[in-house]
Amino acid sequence: MEIVFEYILRGVMEVFFTAEGAFDWLPIAMVFGGLMTGIAIGATPGLNGPFAMALSLPILIWIFGVNDEALLPILGFLIGIMKGATVGGAVPAILFNTPGTPDAYLTTLDGHPMTKKGQGPKALKVAHFSSVCGDTVSDIVLFVAAPVLAVLIESILDLPEKGALIILSLSFMAAVAGSSPMKGFIVGVLGMLLALVGSTLSGNGPRMTFGIVELGNGLPLTAAILGVLIIGEVFIGLEEEVRKRARNVRAAVDTALGDNRFAWSERRKLLPRIGVSALIGTAIGALPGIGTTLAATLGYDVARRFSKTPEKFGTGLPEGVAATEAANSAVSGANLIPVMSLGIPGNFAAVFIILAVESVGEFTLGPHVFRFTEIKVIEDYGTIINNDLVIAFAMFTLMMLANIMNWTVGGAFLRSLGILVKVPKSIMLPVVLLITLTAVYAQDGGFIGVWVLLIFGLIGYALKRLDISILPFVIGFLLSPRLEEYIRGGYSASGGDGLFLLKSPLAMAFIAAAILILVLANRKRKVPDEV
Amino acid sequence: MRLGGKEKRAALNLWDIGFGAALFFFALWALFFWFPADIPTGFFFINSIGREEPGDAFFPIILASLLAGLSAIQIVLSWRNRRSDAEADETGGITLANLKFLALFLAVVGTGLGLMYWLGPLTVAALNAVGFLEGTYRNFSDTVPYKYLGYVTGGSVMTLTLIIWAEGRVRPVAVTTVAAVLFVAILLFDVALRNVLLPPNADF
Repeated sequence: MEIVFEYILRGVMEVFFTAEGAFDWLPIAMVFGGLMTGIAIGATPGLNGPFAMALSLPILIWIFGVNDEALLPILGFLIGIMKGATVGGAVPAILFNTPGTPDAYLTTLDGHPMTKKGQGPKALKVAHFSSVCGDTVSDIVLFVAAPVLAVLIESILDLPEKGALIILSLSFMAAVAGSSPMKGFIVGVLGMLLALVGSTLSGNGPRMTFGIVELGNGLPLTAAILGVLIIGEVFIGLEEEVRKRARNVRAAVDTALGDNRFAWSERRKLLPRIGVSALIGTAIGALPGIGTTLAATLGYDVARRFSKTPEKFGTGLPEGVAATEAANSAVSGANLIPVMSLGIPGNFAAVFIILAVESVGEFTLGPHVFRFTEIKVIEDYGTIINNDLVIAFAMFTLMMLANIMNWTVGGAFLRSLGILVKVPKSIMLPVVLLITLTAVYAQDGGFIGVWVLLIFGLIGYALKRLDISILPFVIGFLLSPRLEEYIRGGYSASGGDGLFLLKSPLAMAFIAAAILILVLANRKRKVPDEV
Repeated sequence: MRLGGKEKRAALNLWDIGFGAALFFFALWALFFWFPADIPTGFFFINSIGREEPGDAFFPIILASLLAGLSAIQIVLSWRNRRSDAEADETGGITLANLKFLALFLAVVGTGLGLMYWLGPLTVAALNAVGFLEGTYRNFSDTVPYKYLGYVTGGSVMTLTLIIWAEGRVRPVAVTTVAAVLFVAILLFDVALRNVLLPPNADF
């Protein structure tokens, strides 16, 4: 146990002090900057956390570089955005009845009626309080669950099992993230195939490049992911704006303000509701790919079912806002459990955390991180220590720091952002396109990044229009190089056994589970909706 | 024409079949044409100590084969669903209106990017021709106003056209927003960060 505390302490010190022992304000300032940016982005219709993380990452890398010292300031900013955007999403939902994301729709059900009753500021206070509570609970579960899971996985899994686990994760994400599990899995495999363009493990020159020299190092990763995530959305959003050009409906907000105090006694009354929703959100967040919408729906539904006055839900009840916000915010921390313990991202925000970690320094995420190596100081050599574990605890410290800032100043900042909601999508989306094009060009040093961005934007558009989830495509694209390493390594280690994946009972169980999930999910989707 | 339930489901499922068929043929093309022509080492290769190792085509071939198999299953499943009314899924699709929008959208973006790429070099070439300047665009790609000419013009044309298209009118707020964004982008990417370049200067 002593060694655990030693590593935790070193992780905390890593955030607050430089290697020379001087106080380091930079990670703290970066978390603060990221949090405020995230809240503002979340409060702006048409923008979201992953978008801000995607655009910030290249800029942060230019500012701080890619050495080990750059990692914590960069991660601090990204974690701040991730947490801030989760909270900020409540602003347009409550004040203007315009949910920026599907999960925020549930917040509008009681949040906007509160605004109509003159209790908009109070609804924002309830949303902020519940959101930060949910997020904090989720983070605490992450801090405990990720190391335990990682130690367990590292002791059990070898190359074939790790490869099979990636396939199982992809299958699970395809099953839960979209309307058609089979199509989701197929685009996951397509994403994997496209990720192989350029790079090779053998070092025998580039592959699958069509002779385009610029693709020799592979498809530009950020351009590809931004294309499918952001540009695809810009295409869709602009098309919808063009179609509904004439009717620019905006909810009236000129309501006289009523009593907007949010007393501690009211907060205490809401705590059981928030606790249940936080646990629901955490449980859902720990499973890759499910996302915030289901968490918010379940949180709201459970709160209504167990309420003494279920008929009042939807009329402007603080409990409704609290149940939804606590549940969807609890997803974000728990979503990092598969990232920290397996190196497998479960949502888009986690994708950018992984991208940052892979681009900067030597730290990598995965089960190996949580090896509690005995710390030994050897004369004339140095200290034997698992530095990755120190960084992992430093990451946890950054998350707690973001929570503390969110508790203290986040609420006031959140309530001052109503003005951002008035920025129309018709202006925001073309501006997003211009900024993304510029950032990608600057990062990749030429038009090759811009072409990749647009082509992947078209892929994102097509997937959206065909009602296929983008998440398996992105996750497949991101995890493909690692899966290739496991499959090739496992094949070689087995002495060239073509059935090496099926020789390990655990790997076989994972593959069987992947197939079973797909089959069951496909059957379930065939049942016609009752509604 | 409004489609009835049965016809509507059958028509919608054609997208599922088309999706499967497109990826099935893509996978076959990759296996039989793309990979043989574009991957230097094969499925296996002999390493420096004479041992057989998986080659660079090993994993792509596994994935493409999996893609072909899954796409074939997708076609069969979609066909079966199409036959059965009760089991039919509602899916999305791409309409002619979507394609028309995309074509117009890409034309606007293409025009903007074309201006970004060519305006600076063409202006320098024209000024060379009248004897006002001497040298190629490369010589002036770090000189104001040439280094901003393509980015500002192309960026403004692309962004403002899209805004006007979406709103159906020209508003001063749109013009000032675009000008402000371009100004901030120049400050950030060109003035503050000295090791990166704005479009199109990294290509010259």
